[in-house]
Formats: sequence, C-alpha cells, structure tokens
Amino acid sequence: MSTAVCHSCWQLPPAFLLPRVTFKHTSKRSIKSISTPQYNRFNKGQGLPRLGASSEAALERKAYTTPLRTGALGTKKGMSAVYDTDTGRRQAVTIVQMDRVQVVAHKTRDRDGYYAVQVGSGWKHPSNVTRPLLGHYAENGVSPKRHLVEFKVRDEKGLLGIGEMVGAGWFQEGQFVDAKANSRGMGFAGGMKRWGFKGQGASHGVSLTHRTMGSSGQSQGGGSRVLPGKKMPGRMGGHQVTTQNVKVVKIDDEKGIVVLYGCIPGPDGCLVKLSDAIKKPWPEIPTMTSGVQAAAEPLRATT
Amino acid sequence: MASTAPTLRLSRCWKRLLRPSRQQKTCVRCLHTALATTPSQFLPPPPPRLRSPFRILNDTTHTLSKKIKTYPPPPSHRAKHPFAVADWQAYHQKELDPTGSRTRLFDRNNPDVPRVGDILLVAFKTGDPFAGVCLSIKMRGVDTGILLRNKLHMVGVEMWVKIYSPNVMAIEVVKRAEKRARRGKLYYMRKPKHDKGSVEKEVEAYLKRRRLIRSGALGVKDSSLSVKNPASARSGVGAR
Repeated sequence: MSTAVCHSCWQLPPAFLLPRVTFKHTSKRSIKSISTPQYNRFNKGQGLPRLGASSEAALERKAYTTPLRTGALGTKKGMSAVYDTDTGRRQAVTIVQMDRVQVVAHKTRDRDGYYAVQVGSGWKHPSNVTRPLLGHYAENGVSPKRHLVEFKVRDEKGLLGIGEMVGAGWFQEGQFVDAKANSRGMGFAGGMKRWGFKGQGASHGVSLTHRTMGSSGQSQGGGSRVLPGKKMPGRMGGHQVTTQNVKVVKIDDEKGIVVLYGCIPGPDGCLVKLSDAIKKPWPEIPTMTSGVQAAAEPLRATT
Repeated sequence: MASTAPTLRLSRCWKRLLRPSRQQKTCVRCLHTALATTPSQFLPPPPPRLRSPFRILNDTTHTLSKKIKTYPPPPSHRAKHPFAVADWQAYHQKELDPTGSRTRLFDRNNPDVPRVGDILLVAFKTGDPFAGVCLSIKMRGVDTGILLRNKLHMVGVEMWVKIYSPNVMAIEVVKRAEKRARRGKLYYMRKPKHDKGSVEKEVEAYLKRRRLIRSGALGVKDSSLSVKNPASARSGVGAR
C-alpha cells in the first residue's frame, strides 16, 4: 500500500495544471582562454601561405632553378691549356665533343607530371637495341641512340622539337654551364682515401692498424650501435658528380667541340651532361637553333 | 604414459587386419605391364598443346615478329674529326704562334732541337731571363713545356717554362750537352752527385760571345750564331 501512495505522490499533475514556463538549455560547452594565443615565428599560423605537398607545388618551388632550355650530351676527350694573349695567363681546359645529339622525345606535365626533353647521342646498331626501345625510336622517327638522357625544362616553351639536332653552337662562348658526369671509379677504398680519415700513428706501439678507421662509435653510452651514415671503407667513385659554373671558352660547331675552363668529373671518354648553369643568369639566346622555335619569342631570364 | 600403450597396440592390430583390403596395394604394378595392358582409349587425353607436335609450326595465326622500321643516323661530327684535343691544340697554337717558329724549334725533325741536358736561356716579356739545364721536355701540343734547373745563391731552383706562353719571348741554346743523354728525363741531376750547379759561367760566356758577334768585332756573321738554332733565328724566337 505504502509503495502505491508514494508512486502517486511523485507523479506530475496534468499538463494544464502546470505553469507555462520554458527553460532554455544549451548543451554546448567551451573553454575560455585567459591569455591570447601566441604564434611562433615559423611558417605556421594565420595569414601565411601553406606549404604545398602536391606535385604542382613541388614543381613551382623548383621552377626557379629549372633551366629554360634543354642541355646536351658530350664526350670528355681530354685536357689541354689555353693562354690569355694579353696577360699571358695559362688556364687548364677540358675538351668535350658532341656527337649527333638529337631530341628523341618529350615529357609533358599532363602525361608525365613534368616537362623534360629526352635527348640521345651517338648511334647504336639496331640489332643491339631491344624491341621496345626500337619502337620508341621508330615512333619518334629518329635513329637508335647510344646514350639517352632527360633534361628537365621549366615549361613547354623549352621543349625543343623532336628530331632537332643540338650542336656545339647550342652553347655560347663565355656562358656558364653545369657539367655532370660519372666520376672515376676508385674501387673499394679505405677510410683514409675515401673520407680523409687521419689513420693512426706509424709507431708508438701501433701494430698493423696504421690505416684503419679506428672506432666506429661508442659502446653503451652511444646506444651500442653504429649510427646510420657512418663513414666507413667501401666503394669509392663511379657516381654522378656535378661541377657547377664551368665557363665555356670556345665553341667549334663544325667539329662539335666545346672547350670548358678547368676540369670536369670523369675519365677521358666518359659521357658528360652539359646544361645551362642554374646558379648564373640564364644565357640570352637570340633564337633557338630549332627552326620550329625560331619564330617564337626569344628565351630570356625571367627572374 | 602407461595408459597409452594399449591403444597403440590396438591401432597396430587394426592396421594388420585392414592391410589386404587397402586400395593402394591393388594399384601397385610394373611399368611394363601397365603399357602393355592398358588400351590407349582408356588413357586420359593429352592436353591440347601436345596433341600434334606440328601444330605450332603450321599455325598461321602465330606469325613471325613484325619488323620495326629504323632510321639511318645523321652524319657524325666525331667520326669526321676524331682527334678533338689535337684539333683544339692546333687551333690554339696557330693563335699563339702564327709564324710557327716555336713549333719548328721543338720539332723532332729539326737537327738543332733543344734536348735534355742542354743549357737553355729563356727571356720573358716581363721579369728577368732564366737559364738552366734542361731536365725534361714535355711535348703536349699547345701545353708543351721545358723544365730548367739552375742554382741561384747556392739554392737549387727549377722552373717549368711553357714554350707557347705569350710571356716567353725567346728560348736560346746556350750550350749543348757533351754527350747525348741516355734518359728522357734527367731527374737524377737533382741529386748532389750529379748536380750541374750554377750555369752562370756558361751563360756569361755565351752572352759575351753573342755581343761580340753582333758588334762585328769577331768577324763572324750573325748567322753563325743561328747555326746553333736556325729555326729560332729564322723566325725571331731564338734570337733577341
């Protein structure tokens, strides 16, 4: 009995007996800041452009140092000297010869994600070329090439026509180029030769470890491991090396000779990739040697 | 472990009982009997690619590979001018030595070509002349050089002279070696035992004689000097 009474006591009276009052209730909660937010000085926060992670943004960032026109391929023939007839100053030069350098194909932003000119040099007997590659050459109407290399260009204005020849006259006397080549292979070299380690003493009790690298790190304090990138003995040379800002002394378009100041990497006879120096103003080319692009507006340094 | 022993024994028992009726026992047969007894119509058919060995060759749909068109190579600069370094050197030599006197002086066919062991005197456009024993001649086209050794103030001095350098005005043979050197490079002359020492005396004598000849006091024509070095005298490199 008592429970039934209690139940009826707690029940609300009918709606028409209740006062017409509505309570506004919001469930939203917030934290009120007691100090204004402080932005750090790095590229983070309001009003700053966000770093793009897209390929377009990456190309845009690299556009400043991407050459306006294609480079060329050559063979390092040897070294000699040049004398300044006024001052009598002698300067070592490297002689590079270009051989049947021809544009083979294009890479475009729409299809490949970037603009580049595929350039080939020399000649290879078709029987030594694989069928897929032969089809590539046949499609573009060029002969099979000994070497095939891509040169990135900034935009479609730098795409020299397919089949166009690039001679020594592509470069100008006095301009600066970057020379890329595979360096001389040294084979397996020790730490002293490869990284310039000091080695150890010739005497004072040193036994059979005069040229060894010594320790490769701490034991317990350093984590008992060899840190990644530790300089150690190994294969030396034979990788691509770039020599920047090499001045062109002389051009012989008829013989395909380009004479460069100083030395460039690689042994005699190696393949050299020459392109406009990225750390110098772009050369002012009145007209490209290509007949297709001759009528176009001359290439100039834009920035 | 003891409890498992009876069950193991039981299974062995079952095995022995079932052995005569096992299927594999009946299938065991000899290879000879199988081929002789099994008729070919009961053998499973071979896969289609093995039905006829001549089928692949007779297949007309399986044609030989298509020929890809190849284009002839353009004319080659390198094949036409294979010696690019020599070409460059010849070009630059002509610029530096338009008369060809320096080339002729160090030409092998020249009978009076300077040889190692000779005492040579080099005059420069700027600076004092330098004389010394020639230790080495490096023939490198436009980069050809001679190594001269002398003693100045009791100190051995060596100097590489590039013969095509515009700074070099004249190269004269002061004195020939008594005997032809039996080596190409006379680096042993750096050792005290073989060191010629200062060549000052020889140069003094040569200059004195040259002065007399030029003044006509000796009664010998100037050309007698050039007998020693006709190529240079002709073109003005050897004579000053």
